[in-house]
Amino acid sequence: MTNTDRPEDGGAAAPAARTSVTFSAGGVRRGFLRFAALTPFVIPFGIAYGAAAVEAGFTAAQAVTMSALVFAGASQFAVLEVWADPVPWIAVLTLAATVNARFFVMSAALARWANALPPGRRFLALCTLADANFADTHGAMRAGERDMGILLGGGLAQWWAWVVGTALGAYAGAAMGALERYGADVVLPCFFIALVAAGLRERVNWAPAAVGAVVAVATMEALPAGWGVIAGALAGGAAAALRP
Amino acid sequence: MSGMLPGGDAAVYLGVAAIALVTLGARLGGAALMARAPMTDRAQRFLDGMAAGVMAALVATIVARGGARELAAVGAAALTMLGARNATLSMAVGMAVAAAWTALV
Repeated sequence: MTNTDRPEDGGAAAPAARTSVTFSAGGVRRGFLRFAALTPFVIPFGIAYGAAAVEAGFTAAQAVTMSALVFAGASQFAVLEVWADPVPWIAVLTLAATVNARFFVMSAALARWANALPPGRRFLALCTLADANFADTHGAMRAGERDMGILLGGGLAQWWAWVVGTALGAYAGAAMGALERYGADVVLPCFFIALVAAGLRERVNWAPAAVGAVVAVATMEALPAGWGVIAGALAGGAAAALRP
Repeated sequence: MSGMLPGGDAAVYLGVAAIALVTLGARLGGAALMARAPMTDRAQRFLDGMAAGVMAALVATIVARGGARELAAVGAAALTMLGARNATLSMAVGMAVAAAWTALV
């Protein structure tokens, strides 16, 4: 959602970029260090997720595995909203895909540099793509940076903090008592509203956000858990696509 | 509370792996698509709109199911973000409002 830049080309039409883009251990290290200041803020978010996941019925080990493999807080929190017994897998996977569709857009925006790398390094560069390291790397590459390693470095810096935070919350969450006392149960909507508010600085996001909210609330009673949100997301996308 | 697992332990791990694959597909898919054919302007706008819509839809659903406490927390977080442009501070303010509400109301 922070991505407003149209990916101008797919890499094939950018021979200059193709020849000069690199991916080095030094770049990974630099990217990691660029995020050192952000790491302390990722851990409490992870703690809130770990505690919320256990409360939703995950074991601590399952919650930590989820954070380690998925590494996408927004979708992990969203999945907890529809988690039930038996697990509604189609809704869960569709919701995860919908919430993480923004990574697809970000990946496309980085294509002209990422696609200049050989496939193995391209995979490594993109596999920890998330909101913050996308914004950092996209800005840096446009400003003349050539090393896509910074994307992985920034992702790894957030990844370990996310996993450690999740473990702390999942294993110690029960000892913390009721999440409501700390306001930890509202971390998810507060995180999402921060993303929405950031997006509202761009006028093009106003209609999709409004349509998404209205459709989700209007359909939430009629549709099975999770599908109201998916309907809202699709309606928001349609509102943007059909804009004259 | 976590003794009986929904769908059994192995099923949950399989599901986690599936969520991870879907997410990885999004991370790799955008660049992969661009290598073949540039996204049309309309497809790009649909995905951008969906990204904005899904966040608003989640917040609206949670607030509609919750109550005044959730609305107060989310409202405080939104105002903080619009003013300070800091997502971490915004979340901290929202949580503080919710915690204070639980303690006082």
